[in-house]
Amino acid sequence: MKRNLLCMTAPVREGFDIPCHEIGPKSAHPAVALVAGLHGDEINGVFILSRLADFLNSVEEGKYPELKLVKRVLIIPAVNVLGVNLRTRTWPFDKTDLNRMFPGNTIGETTERIAYAVLEATKRADYRIDIHTASADFEEVPQVRLHGPSDAERATARMFGLTAVMERSLSPVFTTTMMASWKVWPGESFVLRVGQAGTVQLDHCQRVFRSLVSFLGRVGVLEGVQIAVEDEEVCYFEKSSAFRVYAEKAGTFVSDRQVGRWVRAGQELGYIYDSFSGHVIEKVVSPVPGLLTGIRRHPLLFEGDLILRVNRKS
Amino acid sequence: MSGKILMKTETFFTIDMPYRERMDIRRTLFSGGDGSRVAVVAGLHGDELEGLYVCHRLAAWLEELQKTSPANLLGTVELYPAVNTLGLDTLTRGLPVFDTDLNRAFPGSTGGPLPERLAAALMSALSGAALVVDIHASNIYLREIPQVRINQDFDDLLVPIARRMNLDLIWLHGAATVLETTVAHSLNSRATPCLVVEMGVGMRITPDYCDQLVAGILAVWKDMGVLAPDVALPAITHMPLIADDSNVHYLNAQTSGMFVSSTSHWTDVRRGELLGTIVSPFHGGVLSEVRSPVDGILFTLREYPLVYEGSLMARVMARAGGRS
Repeated sequence: MKRNLLCMTAPVREGFDIPCHEIGPKSAHPAVALVAGLHGDEINGVFILSRLADFLNSVEEGKYPELKLVKRVLIIPAVNVLGVNLRTRTWPFDKTDLNRMFPGNTIGETTERIAYAVLEATKRADYRIDIHTASADFEEVPQVRLHGPSDAERATARMFGLTAVMERSLSPVFTTTMMASWKVWPGESFVLRVGQAGTVQLDHCQRVFRSLVSFLGRVGVLEGVQIAVEDEEVCYFEKSSAFRVYAEKAGTFVSDRQVGRWVRAGQELGYIYDSFSGHVIEKVVSPVPGLLTGIRRHPLLFEGDLILRVNRKS
Repeated sequence: MSGKILMKTETFFTIDMPYRERMDIRRTLFSGGDGSRVAVVAGLHGDELEGLYVCHRLAAWLEELQKTSPANLLGTVELYPAVNTLGLDTLTRGLPVFDTDLNRAFPGSTGGPLPERLAAALMSALSGAALVVDIHASNIYLREIPQVRINQDFDDLLVPIARRMNLDLIWLHGAATVLETTVAHSLNSRATPCLVVEMGVGMRITPDYCDQLVAGILAVWKDMGVLAPDVALPAITHMPLIADDSNVHYLNAQTSGMFVSSTSHWTDVRRGELLGTIVSPFHGGVLSEVRSPVDGILFTLREYPLVYEGSLMARVMARAGGRS
């Protein structure tokens, strides 16, 4: 069922709304709340959640007789609706970052009102999942991100079956994010980071779609899911396991490597060329053996830019 | 007394860009005697120009001093007028390419990407100064009267200085963790006093406000011994009111449309007085009337007319003893 979380006016165009899907048996609060598109250019998450809604609606319509949705799921494919349409990360009118406006309020700025409505709809869920990507310049392997997690969240994070679970501390900079506001409430909260902004990366999206269906099965929301035996192990990466390579020289970076592959120490992962002369000025190699969890995709490098990150298995 | 002022403009931070060019950030130094070192920072946001003009006016005053009575500069003045060089040169508030608010990147680090390195370089340059003034110009949406904003964690030290800066308002605000990444917080928490001035509006300069602040900065520098005690300065003509989170009222738009103000900025207003209306370009009626919730002083007024439901249109500071 489609419902509008919030209807608002606009200065000269028609009013707009932020729609969500509510699927499964009626209840006071959803068992699982899934949110994407707080940033309008993070299309992987919008695509994954719209496809998940389509799948769960089909389950409800009886198209998969072996499956049964036994608890309610709330899905907001995009919070920053106008940002998706105009391909901007931020709220297009005043360029504010919707994920810095939480907990929001009902009488404040436009984006605070939107944040408040999203938080109200999601905060009482048992499991809350916020899907992001990296910027358009960088690609992240599909991963679970934990921010100052509880032991329960550490354990549940493995149920997504994604190769990488990464733990971070909850920095003061993130006080006004949706994640920080969620953590005030009982229940568990997760961020999934999937690929890069500005595009749909089909492999990543399919992998995360499967992982969300498995997750709904494992937490007892979707009955009848056949959990595939994972062919890849889940790796839990502490912050100290990350080794980053920064550009020592500016230029043009080119690489044909894919994220999510295991690499050796010293393995060549790309080249930096002088953008004017075309000379190779640096060979970029992995600093350690580990999983290539992120890599630069925009070719033009400023001195100091992050080129890649390899996480070493503990 | 040396009786000379050494003046130089130099690059204090440089980084290679992808195709041949370098991004250089420059400062101008005026060195007199061995007295205190003070600094002015502006242009952290590429759409805020008021501080650039203040730096120009200060430089003009110091160049005149250099010609007429150089012995009156007892310390060192450092001007950092255009920190977000690329943003200023391209009409962009944030740091171009990085899509980053530079004033959320402090204290930075020396080894990371550009915003971090630039923040670290600025921290290193400013640390140990007797006083830093960081000048902001609101944004393109709102016009502000000349004011200092002070985090209550640092008010004991900063309020006495701010009182002498020839401004109209001191706004004490609660500690917000997200503001810990500003240059001012980073400096204040490392024992370098830093005052944040907000005035005017984005993408414009307001020469009267700039001259008002120049007079205040010079007066404070004289108090601190950067300028000689008997140097002639422009008159101090403004005393600040004190606002805090308890007496500032926010007026957010109840509906979307065009906000047209019916009063001027920086005036006394009465409770219930009409401050403006929200209208639609499609028809002739009034969508919403905007009235003052209290007797007070209108210190923030919307400059950019279009509003969304929720957009801030005005801030009024309630007057002590007024009706609210």
